[in-house]
Amino acid sequence: MMKIDRSCIMFVTKNLRVSFVIFLVGFISFLIADLSISTVDTSLLVQDFFFSIVKLSFNDYSILFEAFLNTISIAMVAIFISAILGFFLALFFQNMLVRISLSFTRAIHELFWALIFLQIFGLNTLTAILAIIIPYSAILAKVYAEILEEHDTFPETLRGKSRISYFIYTKIPDAFPHLVSYTLYRFECALRSTAILGFVGITTLGYYLSSSFMQGYYHEVWMILILFYIVVASVKWWFNKYTFIPLTIASFFYLDDFSGFNWDNLVRFVTSDIVPHPIRNDLGFDKTLAWFDNIFSNEILPGVFNTIVLTQLALFLTAILALLLFPLVSKKFFQKPTRLTSHIFLVILRSTPEYILAYVFLQLFGPSMLPAALALMLHNGSIIAHLMGNETNLLSLRPDVTKKRNEKYFYEVLPRVYNQFLAFLFYRWEIIMRESAILGILGIATLGFFIDSAIADFRLDKMFLLLLITAFLNIIVDLISKKAREYLRANDSFTSCGCSLK
Amino acid sequence: MAFYLQDQNISYGDFTVLSDFSLSIKKGEKVALLGKSGSGKSTLLKHLFDLQKQNCSYIPQELGLVNNLSVFHNVYISKLDENSLFTNLKNLVLPSTKYKNDISKILEEVELEDKLQSKILNLSGGQKQRCAIARAVFDEKAILLADEPISALDEYLSDKTLKILTSKFETSICALHNVDLAIKNFDRVIGLKNGSVLVDKACVDLNDEDRQKLYYVCD
Repeated sequence: MMKIDRSCIMFVTKNLRVSFVIFLVGFISFLIADLSISTVDTSLLVQDFFFSIVKLSFNDYSILFEAFLNTISIAMVAIFISAILGFFLALFFQNMLVRISLSFTRAIHELFWALIFLQIFGLNTLTAILAIIIPYSAILAKVYAEILEEHDTFPETLRGKSRISYFIYTKIPDAFPHLVSYTLYRFECALRSTAILGFVGITTLGYYLSSSFMQGYYHEVWMILILFYIVVASVKWWFNKYTFIPLTIASFFYLDDFSGFNWDNLVRFVTSDIVPHPIRNDLGFDKTLAWFDNIFSNEILPGVFNTIVLTQLALFLTAILALLLFPLVSKKFFQKPTRLTSHIFLVILRSTPEYILAYVFLQLFGPSMLPAALALMLHNGSIIAHLMGNETNLLSLRPDVTKKRNEKYFYEVLPRVYNQFLAFLFYRWEIIMRESAILGILGIATLGFFIDSAIADFRLDKMFLLLLITAFLNIIVDLISKKAREYLRANDSFTSCGCSLK
Repeated sequence: MAFYLQDQNISYGDFTVLSDFSLSIKKGEKVALLGKSGSGKSTLLKHLFDLQKQNCSYIPQELGLVNNLSVFHNVYISKLDENSLFTNLKNLVLPSTKYKNDISKILEEVELEDKLQSKILNLSGGQKQRCAIARAVFDEKAILLADEPISALDEYLSDKTLKILTSKFETSICALHNVDLAIKNFDRVIGLKNGSVLVDKACVDLNDEDRQKLYYVCD
């Protein structure tokens, strides 16, 4: 047995312990994960793909224009309704039942919701809007409730009897700017989410992106991507307090295809389709158990296992990337030209939906966990790096601080922001888990893969069971993350500053 | 009698701050509570407020202003219960002239009339205190309970606002830590130290020893 030097242990702090666990689990996941490159000659494809950027063009610009209008108006209508629903739900967030059902709807990715509504209402705008509204109103409800709770300087004892008047006078005014800025941030997210709904067949950007990709028209892929960056990056100029009402009304009129609503289908889906078929057909308990057992050992176990492996690997890689990148956007380390270039780079990385990154890497490297892990790392790493950069800009170091960059990084800056860094990481954890599950649709054997195949076989009862498991897994991760943040005492108010967090 | 406490234990959370505490305050009395932070002044005031919420205007130490609302609205808040939801909503968007005039008058007395439409977040600490005082005055209750309402004001304004706080309410109980201002503006002083009363006398009856004790509790 090796003797442990006690004086060393004294330096083991809570955040080192937590980091060690993340590292260890991440490393084990790295060893387990299948990260092989299966495409035959990648270099040529990669070269072809990246060189196409100079040949930007699109076959039919009117289609492209329509795809953009479609994407933007779906996102706008969806966020408008979600904000209203979310606000009302936020008022009842103290209610346990509301809280639990919201954490459940939140835990299911919008792409999964789209797959569900496809079965009920078919391929149309209604499906797209509902797929965004349901998870988004749940997310907004949670964050709105937090914001309302946090920005409240009025003492409880002074609050009088007219509850609505007091609510409007003492809670809303201070919370309002934060509610608006968070909703705006969510609108950006809704743009990304709507774009990727195209991958399941709705005619938003993702639809044209994937079809151009499959035909090898890489110049079109770049065209769509670059225009999308411009749209996302310029949101604050065209979506503000003056334009949002006319734009939302215009979007309602633009999207006139709500014909898909079918009450019978909805009833059939809820009362029959998703009921396990041995129960539906009254085959008895043994058959039901066999049905469950079969799915459990062949799909749930490997699905959950792979989802966790991918999540932990991606989390670990995200952490590394963020730690490497954040000095590039920090005033404490670099001059303006470097920071500006890095900013643009990070903006591009984080405005590309993980799903699209993963899709691109999948075409380049073939199916394994590698594309998914890379995509999750780049997207989430750049978000955390950006937040950390902002965080370090707020630090005031003493004037005679060391000029050596590495020393400054390890002795002065990192120790000061490390707890914050871990908190950011834990906030992203749940999101990475959601994405890891969904990336299964691209052919990696996470839960999304099995859900997608269940839908393809039209076995909706199985799909529903797998979705429940996915949601459950997410809720567990959320709870662990909350516990970990409490353990680190890194839980102080994030909603006001880190809007790009959740 | 405005307040009558007999051998009570008064706690802050789980922690008993004042034990076996007795105090009686008659209607019409102007009382200054003196003592350092931690002596139990705030706990006592909060307790008194909980006893008679209906009759008291309370200015907590943290003031309880809504940062993103104007001074007008923060003062108006004390009338929320009196008015209908409709009136309240209307005044939020379009303040009525009547209320504007009434509130301006009070603001004039605390020398804040030019800030009627300023948001609280643009005010200094002293201006915020005066806004909270205006809110309490506008409340028009019989009893005032104020927790260090003048800590950020200069001598001139302290004097002026204390006069308002003692004259606009039938009964006033203020926590302070300036002995001279307390003796000058109030009828009765109570010196608290670690949860027990060291001095409790009418100002006219104070002798040198009492004054020494009062300076001691505030040190």
